[in-house]
Formats: sequence, structure tokens, C-alpha cells
Amino acid sequence: MNIRIIKENLVRRTMFGLCLFVFSLVFLMAFGLYQKSKPILAIISLKDLLFSSIWHPTQGHFGLSSFIAGTFWVTAIAVIIAVPLSILTAIYVSEYASKRVRSFAKPIIDLLAGISPIIFGVWGIIAVVPLVRDYLMPFFTKRFPFFPFVSDNYTGFSALTGGIVLAVMTFPIIISVVEEVLRTVSFEIREASLSLGATKWQTIKYVVLKKARPGIIAAVILGVSRAFGETMAVLMVAGCALGVFPKSIFDAAYPLPALIANTYGEMMSIPLYDSAVLLAAFILLIITALFNMAGWGILLHIERKQACG
Amino acid sequence: MVRLRSPQVEENIFIGLMIASTFIVVSSLILILATIFIKGFPALNLDMITKTPKGGYYLGKEGGVLNAILGSLILGIGATFLALLVSLPLVFYLNLYLKKNSKLALAARFSLDVLWGIPSIVYGAFGFILMMFFGLRASLLAGTITIALLIIPIMARSMDEVLKMIPFELKEASYALGATKLETAIKVIFRQALPGIFTAILIAFGRGIGDAAAVLFTASFTDSLPYSLFKPVATLPLAIFFQLGTPFPEVQQRGYASALILTIIILCISIFSRILSGKFTKHTIK
Amino acid sequence: MEIKTHISVKNLNIWYGQHQAINNISIDIPDKKITAIIGPSGCGKSTLLKSFNRLIELQDGAKVSGKVLVDGEDIYDPKVEVTHLRKKMGLLSQRPQVLPVSIYENVAYGPRIHGIKDKKKLDEIVQRYLIESNLWDEVRGRLNSSASKLSIGQQQRLCLARGLAVEPEVILGDEPTSALDPLSAECIEQRLLELKNKYTIVLVTHILRQAKRLADYIIFLYLGNLIEHGPAEEVLNNPKYLKTKNYLEGKFIEEPKINKELNLKRTAYPNNFVTAKLALGDLEFGHIVKIIVDNESSAIEIPKAIEHEGHKILEVRKLNQNDWEIVVQKHNGGYVI
Repeated sequence: MNIRIIKENLVRRTMFGLCLFVFSLVFLMAFGLYQKSKPILAIISLKDLLFSSIWHPTQGHFGLSSFIAGTFWVTAIAVIIAVPLSILTAIYVSEYASKRVRSFAKPIIDLLAGISPIIFGVWGIIAVVPLVRDYLMPFFTKRFPFFPFVSDNYTGFSALTGGIVLAVMTFPIIISVVEEVLRTVSFEIREASLSLGATKWQTIKYVVLKKARPGIIAAVILGVSRAFGETMAVLMVAGCALGVFPKSIFDAAYPLPALIANTYGEMMSIPLYDSAVLLAAFILLIITALFNMAGWGILLHIERKQACG
Repeated sequence: MVRLRSPQVEENIFIGLMIASTFIVVSSLILILATIFIKGFPALNLDMITKTPKGGYYLGKEGGVLNAILGSLILGIGATFLALLVSLPLVFYLNLYLKKNSKLALAARFSLDVLWGIPSIVYGAFGFILMMFFGLRASLLAGTITIALLIIPIMARSMDEVLKMIPFELKEASYALGATKLETAIKVIFRQALPGIFTAILIAFGRGIGDAAAVLFTASFTDSLPYSLFKPVATLPLAIFFQLGTPFPEVQQRGYASALILTIIILCISIFSRILSGKFTKHTIK
Repeated sequence: MEIKTHISVKNLNIWYGQHQAINNISIDIPDKKITAIIGPSGCGKSTLLKSFNRLIELQDGAKVSGKVLVDGEDIYDPKVEVTHLRKKMGLLSQRPQVLPVSIYENVAYGPRIHGIKDKKKLDEIVQRYLIESNLWDEVRGRLNSSASKLSIGQQQRLCLARGLAVEPEVILGDEPTSALDPLSAECIEQRLLELKNKYTIVLVTHILRQAKRLADYIIFLYLGNLIEHGPAEEVLNNPKYLKTKNYLEGKFIEEPKINKELNLKRTAYPNNFVTAKLALGDLEFGHIVKIIVDNESSAIEIPKAIEHEGHKILEVRKLNQNDWEIVVQKHNGGYVI
């Protein structure tokens, strides 16, 4: 009889331990990466690291600013493309679409979420690079010969290419969160609006979207964070040329995650190189963790408010 | 928002935009799959999946990517197993042992959400640090552990969704017979949630074998078949990455074929889990 | 008639967060009898029942104070193994909740976790209790098929068999027939009547006729308060207090309008009775007085004496650890000219 209780208690302790482990994993990661990036912070100030654009590991120059700019470009492009498309899709799927369309579109969006980043990269190389090189870039440079469309990078491997591929990769997360949020807007409140003679679109625009606004903001934040940290696909299509400070959507961009990924192999052979790269990883971790805390925090708040009635 | 004369016109414009957006989103997946199939299929042959790279493979000589296929599967299975060891007890703890409004459960769920959003390259870097800390080389073991860390949040969150939906009365029925929480978890809840748990495992597995950034530092790459936990291992995503990185068209062709293989594997997993999930469709990504 | 007590509740209070669901209840539940807990919905019937096997602890924010003695042992003692307790108290819930395993495994589940591994013994147990719950003939050929495929009435009988298989001493029924069709309900009632020779049965029900059919002993709760309890005959046919009477007649239960309050704490019987009698004398006919006393003997004796005087006792209720409340209506019958 008692052995059951002992077993129960033992398992309870183990489970509690696992719970603490998961809870502390973020901190553990931050701590580890910070420890490893300390050596470089001891020699070069954080300001110099963040704002200098000179990257010459062999000569001890570790300026990250062009990588940060690259990250900014691809993320911004991805968000500008993905956010309106995703939100409109989510509204359509959850409010307007017939059951048949829904049951067709939902699995596809889920499937999109499950596809390997590498596959997106391959697709980017096959389809998006030529699109940008042969159509978009000539079109834009001819019609809009000013910032941010002027570039001398004619390869097609550019910030825009990375942004387009990233946009497709961020669709699923934004769509599924927005959809979830729209679903939490109660039926009664829609009914109230409809019963006052509002059309369906007016109801959505003035009532549903207003109620869902914090959730939609959360979805966008999570989408940004996803785009921000994506590595392999961007590495494959964004150009990733050293020594280029991107000034145009058609310039090659070299975002932080790609930098980290590209240093495998040579990282340990140059002094401080590993420290600089792990600092980049640390920055990436902090920013994505903060974004995710904000996003999930908002969603959690909505959920709890919902639960209380 | 734009003010138009008639609400009906405005509604129609927006419906048009929404349909267009949905079309773009849905067709992007179809486009991706179609591209991979069209480019990859001609280069796909039996050698690709039955041979390992021979000398000069990356210069266009013969061979296949069996090393990477096997490596990915083994690494994926190992990581899924490790992640399961953590996730399953964890979600049982959250749903059975802790009260609904427990602060600890809230903190753990929030941590999982945040972990879920951390990019895989950061997991890779962290895995690299762990590796150095424990004096390991880039190896199957290090790669497996890193991928396990990466997929724990994915697996645990999906399982959590499943367990949350289990009616309280079912637990009550078991407790009322004098069962402990552990017995209830293993004999009752597990049985009830099995399809959902299985789906969660498959989702995590798919994510695990598809990831490249996390194994870049930790699993390295090799041309030989995986045979030791402590030796580097090849993975399919990296094989694709390297083949596409070469300047030789015939090697790039094989890269496309490898991409097709990976896509087919992931599609199979997806479809299989969809069939299994049946009514448990909620626990995809939230 | 000598009544042996099986479950003894002493000063039980239960809160859900801020809301008090059970308000200082003390009561004895007789051994090997059917005790029905009746009252309008939301009055704490299920809460009281679930406090007997400590399932109440699983509710969010539930807090329990007071004692529940089963066989003289306080089940809320930290030393008590809750699994052992629950084995002793079988539960039959509102909706039958079968476990997601086969019919056989449903019944064998309990004995198995309590240590019976012998296959032959398990077979025997499964058969015995399926027979006892009158399900054997219907399922003997398909013991290994899924329990969820049974009809809802069969499921409830399966739940009964499953509960009996752990050899409980008490059966707790939480409106066990409310989700069933009339035939299945009758079948369950029949089983319960047969089982009362062997088990103490506590039944929550909101169906008065069911209480009449089954119960030997009645507990009437209203808004978390114990209003009246006693042998079924007495309570159902001849309720002492107004609230019970109104409930049994299907009328609204109202709080009586108190015209006068008498605080007779710190005085003993019969002194306080004399004070009360004098106060009643000053009152108009039909008016209501609330008397508060702080010892149990007064709470028992004063109502008797006042009734003897010809007045009407509307309610006697324990307020807290020490205080009792007696609500009396001045007789408005024959005396009125």
C-alpha cells in the first residue's frame, strides 16, 4: 500500500524538478551566452560593437551594425508583406469563409508551419531570387530611382528576397494567433452590433477588430520575432555578403542569425571570434525573448480576462 | 479606415482583399511544394536514397545522401524521445498535480511559450556552449540534446492543449476509486489523450528533423553513416544546404532532390498526424 | 430504534474562495441505511457529498474546516491516506463517467491499483460485481469491447460495478439517475435498495419522489445550511420547520420576516426559556421572533418547550461553533378571537 504513495511522491518531486528546469531554461541560456560573450565585452565596449560597421575578425574588429541593419531590413520587409496578408486571411477564414474553404485552408496553413526552413530557402533560390532579379528589381529601379530602391546588386540575392521568403514563413504564426483571438470575441457582442442594424463588415470593423486589437498586436509581435530569428532560409537567399551596409531593399543583407550560422567551423580559430558570435546569439536571445514575453503576455492577459467572464 | 459612400461597397472591397490574401497564403504553400517537386523530381533516383556520398560527391561524382537521411531520422527519433521524457511528465504535472490557477503552472506555460519563440540558431549556440562545458565534440549526442531542447516547447505545448480538454469528471472518476494521481495519469488520462499525444510527438519530430540551424554547430556533418553517439552525424537539411552551396549544377540538382526527399518525409509526418488527430485538431500551433 | 452512526460530520464549513458553500453543519449519517440529501439546486448538496471522500479538495480554491469522522476516524487528518479513504467511499456521479478502456478493464481498474494482480481473481471480481449491478447478462459476451459504446444506462451500471469492485463501505451517489432514461433510473434505484443491506448509501437527489422511494433518512439543506434532518417518514410527512415544508410542497422558500430578535446568550435553560416566553407574550399573533442561544441543550430544549406552549418553530439552525438560532412564530391559530 505504502509503496504506491512513495512512488507518487517520488514522481511528484521529479515532475516538479522538470517544471523548474523548463522555467529556468531561458535564464540558463541567457546566462551561458552572456558568460561566453563576456571576453569581448571586456575589450570592446557594447556601443562600439553595436554601432561600428567594421567586421574584420582577424584584425580584431567586430562591428555588428551592418548585420543589425541587415536584420532590420529583412524583418521590416517581411512584416510589411506578411502582416496585412495574414490579418486579412485570418479574418476571412474565421469570419467569412464557408466550412469547406475553412477545412481546406486551415490544414494548409498548419502544414506551412511545419515545413523545414531549409525548404523555404530552396524555394527562395529557385523561385524568388529569379523573380526579384528579373522582374522586381528592373521594374523598381526604372520606375522609382530613389531610396530605398537603388542598388548595384544584380544577383537577386537581396534583402527583399529574404523578406519575401520570411514573410511566407511568418504567415502561419500570425494567422493562427489572430484567428484564435477572433474566436475569443464573444458571439453576444457581435449579435448586439448586428441587431442594431450594422452590416457584417461594420460589425467586424467597429466591434470585433476593436475587441481583438490587443491580440492582433500580439500576433504581429510574435510574427516580428519569428522573422527576426529565422536563420537558414535567410542565409540562403539574402546574399549575406560581408562588407556591405545595406541601403536598399535590393542590396545584399547579412542578418545576425545568418552571421552566427556562417561562422561554424572557423569560429574557434580566431581569438575573440567565438565570443563576438555568441554575443550576437545573446542579443538575438534577449530580443526574441522580450518580444515573445510581450506577445504571449498580452495573449495570456486576454485569456485570463476571458476566463473571468 | 477608408470612408466610402456605401457600406456595401466597402464590405465588397474588403472581402475581395481578404479572398486575395487567403489565395496568396494558400497558394504560397502549393507553389513551394510544386517548385520543389518540379525541380527535385528529375534528379531523384535510387542512388540518392541508397548510397552514401562517394569521394568527390560534392564535385559531381556519384553517391547519395543516405547518410543524411539516416542521420536525420536517428537524430530526430533520439531527440523526440528525449523531449518526450521531459514533456510528458511535465504536462501531466501541469494538468493533474497543479491546480488550474496555480502560479507555478502559469509560469511554466509562459516559459514554454517564450522558449517556443526563441530561434533555433540560439539553441544551436547554447548547445555549442553546453558541448564545450561538458567537453563533448560535435556529435550525434550533442545534436540530439540540442534538438531535444528545441522541440520540448513545441511538444509540451501541443500536449498541454490536449490534456486541457480532458474532462475533469474523468479524473474525478479515477480518484474516487482510490487511484493516486500517478495511476490516474498513466492508466486513464494517457489512454484518453493518446491520439493527441501521438500527434504532438509527430509535430515535434517533424520540426526536429527539419531544423538545420541548431545542428550546425552541434552535430557537424560527415559523409559516413551514423554509427556512434560520439561521432559527427549528417543531417538532411544540412546536406541540402551544402549541396546547394556548391557551384556545380549537377550537385545543386541533387540538392533539389534532397529537398524533395525532406519535403516528402515532412509531408508524410504531417498527413499521418492529421489522420491520427481526427477530432483533436486544436493543438496545432496556437 | 438503535441507529449506529457511520459518518459523523462535525462543524463542517466549506468555502469556494470567498463564497461559503457549507455553513457549519453537524450531522450523523446512519450505518447501512440510505440517506438522501435533498434541497434546491445550488444549496451545497454535492459539495457536502464530495467532502466525504475529499474529492472537494480538487476543486479550485476549495477550503474545508471542521471534521468528518468515518468509523470514528477524522478523514481530514493529514495522516489519512486519501487513496485509502476514497477506496472506502465509492462514488456514483451525475453522468456516468466510464474510463477510456474496455468494460472488463473498467471494473478491474480499481482492484488492480489496489494490488490484485491474479488474473483469475480479477475475472471473478469482474463477474461478481457485474452481476451485482445487473449488467452481466448484457455484456458477458463483449467484456473486451470499449466501455464508451454502452448505452448511458448501461454505463451508469458499469460505474456502479466499478465502484463496488473496490469493496467500499459507503456508496456516495451524486444524483446518479439524473442523466438516465426512466427505465435505467429505475434499475439503478432497484440496485441501491438491494445494496443498502451491505453498504451505507448517501444519495444526493433533487427528485423528491426518489427520496421518498429510497431514503430511510433525510437531510434537508438550504443555501449551505442544514435546515432539518431525521428519519424519512418524519421529515417527509411531518416536517418540523417552515422551509422544509415549503420545499416539500414546492413553494418558494423565503427567509421568514423577523419582527423581533432576542439575544439569550450566556443564559442557561430554563431561564432563557422564561425570557423567551415573556417576549412572545408581548408579540402580536403571527409575528416572528428570532432567538439566539449559545449552548446545545438550550437549542434542543427551548424549541420543545415553546412548541409545547402552542407556538410554531420555523427553524433551528446552528450559526457557528457556539451559537444557535431558533426562529419562532407566535401561534396564530385557536387563540385568535
